[in-house]
Amino acid sequence: MGVMDQILEKAVEEEEAVSYDVLVVGGGIAGESASLDLADMGFKVLLVEKEPSVGGKMYLLSKVFPTLDCASCISTPRMAAVSHHPNIILHTYSEVLEIRKLSESDFQARILVKPRFVEDDCTGCGQCEKVCPVVVPKEYDFGLRGRKAAYIPFDTAVPKKALIDLDHCIFCGQCERTCPVGAVNFLQVPKVVKVRVRAVLIATGYELFSIERKTEYGYGKFKNVITAMQMDRLLAPTRPFNAVLRPSDGKEPSSIAFVLCSGSRDRTLNNPICSQVCCMYSVKQAQLLMGALPLADVTIYYMDIRAFGKGFEEFYQQAKAMGAMFVKGRVAKIEETENDDLVLWYEDIENGGRISKAVHDLVVLSVGLKPNSEIVEVFKGEVLERDELGWIRSRDENVNPVETSIKGVFAAGCVLGPKDIPDTVLEAGAAAAQVAAYLNEVGV
Amino acid sequence: MSERRSTVVQLRNRSGLKPSKENVELMRRSKEVQTAITKALKDGPKTVPEIAKATGLSKDEIFWHLMTMHKYGVVEPDEKDEAGYFRYRLVEG
Ligand SMILES: Cc1cc2nc3c(=O)[nH]c(=O)nc-3n(C[C@H](O)[C@H](O)[C@H](O)COP(=O)(O)OP(=O)(O)OC[C@H]3O[C@@H](n4cnc5c(N)ncnc54)[C@H](O)[C@@H]3O)c2cc1C
Repeated sequence: MGVMDQILEKAVEEEEAVSYDVLVVGGGIAGESASLDLADMGFKVLLVEKEPSVGGKMYLLSKVFPTLDCASCISTPRMAAVSHHPNIILHTYSEVLEIRKLSESDFQARILVKPRFVEDDCTGCGQCEKVCPVVVPKEYDFGLRGRKAAYIPFDTAVPKKALIDLDHCIFCGQCERTCPVGAVNFLQVPKVVKVRVRAVLIATGYELFSIERKTEYGYGKFKNVITAMQMDRLLAPTRPFNAVLRPSDGKEPSSIAFVLCSGSRDRTLNNPICSQVCCMYSVKQAQLLMGALPLADVTIYYMDIRAFGKGFEEFYQQAKAMGAMFVKGRVAKIEETENDDLVLWYEDIENGGRISKAVHDLVVLSVGLKPNSEIVEVFKGEVLERDELGWIRSRDENVNPVETSIKGVFAAGCVLGPKDIPDTVLEAGAAAAQVAAYLNEVGV
Repeated sequence: MSERRSTVVQLRNRSGLKPSKENVELMRRSKEVQTAITKALKDGPKTVPEIAKATGLSKDEIFWHLMTMHKYGVVEPDEKDEAGYFRYRLVEG
């Protein structure tokens, strides 16, 4: 058991004090959008996010397809808005432990608020981080560089407050001695807050498919095989490296391959479905790479290009016109050469299906999405249903997509199935409207 | 030291918490690598392969720490060589 788990075991249960109209679980773009819509309608919202900042995956992206707008520029104002809205109470670094339906439109929820070991006086100056001597992989950069055990999640985190990762702390006290406002407090204790809410909205999003499982691709073993999420980080304004460079030695890549459908449409990995966003985010990244590295070759290995949305086909054609090469063929395996380059073996469908190989110096696995729906386990008494692949099941996909198997519990965004940001925001708006209708119907 | 300033000591005393071997090793290793990189850069900007030659450390470990040092303002990129490697230099002061 880790140090933090030992401390969390001693959480202090608080008496039930407050009630809200809606509990929104998950502070990605879906949860933020729905919370803001509901709060603007006058409903009192409790938004619970498990990470130390809101923002979800969108904040971490470079630009968004097909408009190529800056992702963090769009998401930061929303992140700030949820923390300032008078009708929204935000608990970050918190976990929902239990949701129990007592009667119609009456749910009791228990929420674990974890200690950050840093008081709210923290000004986010980052001095604790500078002096902390322990370096561990930074989650928000998917391990591409390090962070300290005392750290601020990222520059525009909401809230922009430091926290101490006790599982990696060596208890040297440097952070505490350095903090100019005396905000570090190792004696903070976890608390369990009990609340009553009238409706619940699940917006816990997705996780990346665990592509280590496809051992033929060597992810985790070959340094220059990265995921598309890592590539989006490399292309973002808040990027972990000073340029797009390969992790094995910091060289600027000259030949980059994308392997589409990594972990999607793959029965051997028990994930037969299309992740819906990988074709377009790969086309986006290809265009951005050709801008960042004009001399580099970009090759996309694909089964089919699914460019189904507004402006997507044009976006795909634009990438081709810019010089991205599209090779129809499934990649069977990847090998590493002595100088950290990678050999891709693939079925060359347009040349009679023969087995071909090509060498690249950086490979991006366009990894699919998997549901982040473990939240179903906190429901007591009634079952929040999932489909056979683990996505939350809609009450009726055609006419009631955002209602779930429990009346009064709604869902929005990628927890219902893979989708892009515009569809996620639309669904969040729809869910907010349905929650409002439900609350008005059941009355106070 | 005032009571407020010694919460880490109080926590250690109260719960008998000790730094784990793994975390001490993490600290020791990052200090070792970062000191070696700093030393190698003292006589001028270098690429990752050049730092590897000077220190005997692996290129990927050097690059990972270099990018972490970049985040904390300890090193900064210089010009790029013909093979596509940036040189990095120590930030003054
Ligand atoms: C590499 C890549 C590139 C992409 N590029 C684009 C693009 O260019 N354009 C586009 O439109 N889409 C893109 N997408 C898709 C986009 O990321 C999603 O559409 C969007 O992020 C979905 O938002 P969400 O809020 O549903 O989920 P998420 O962003 O996953 O947010 C879910 C939030 O819930 C929190 N959470 C999870 N579990 C719990 C819990 N138990 N309790 C409390 N909180 C919890 C998470 O920490 C997170 O903050 C891309 C996806 C990938 C993988």
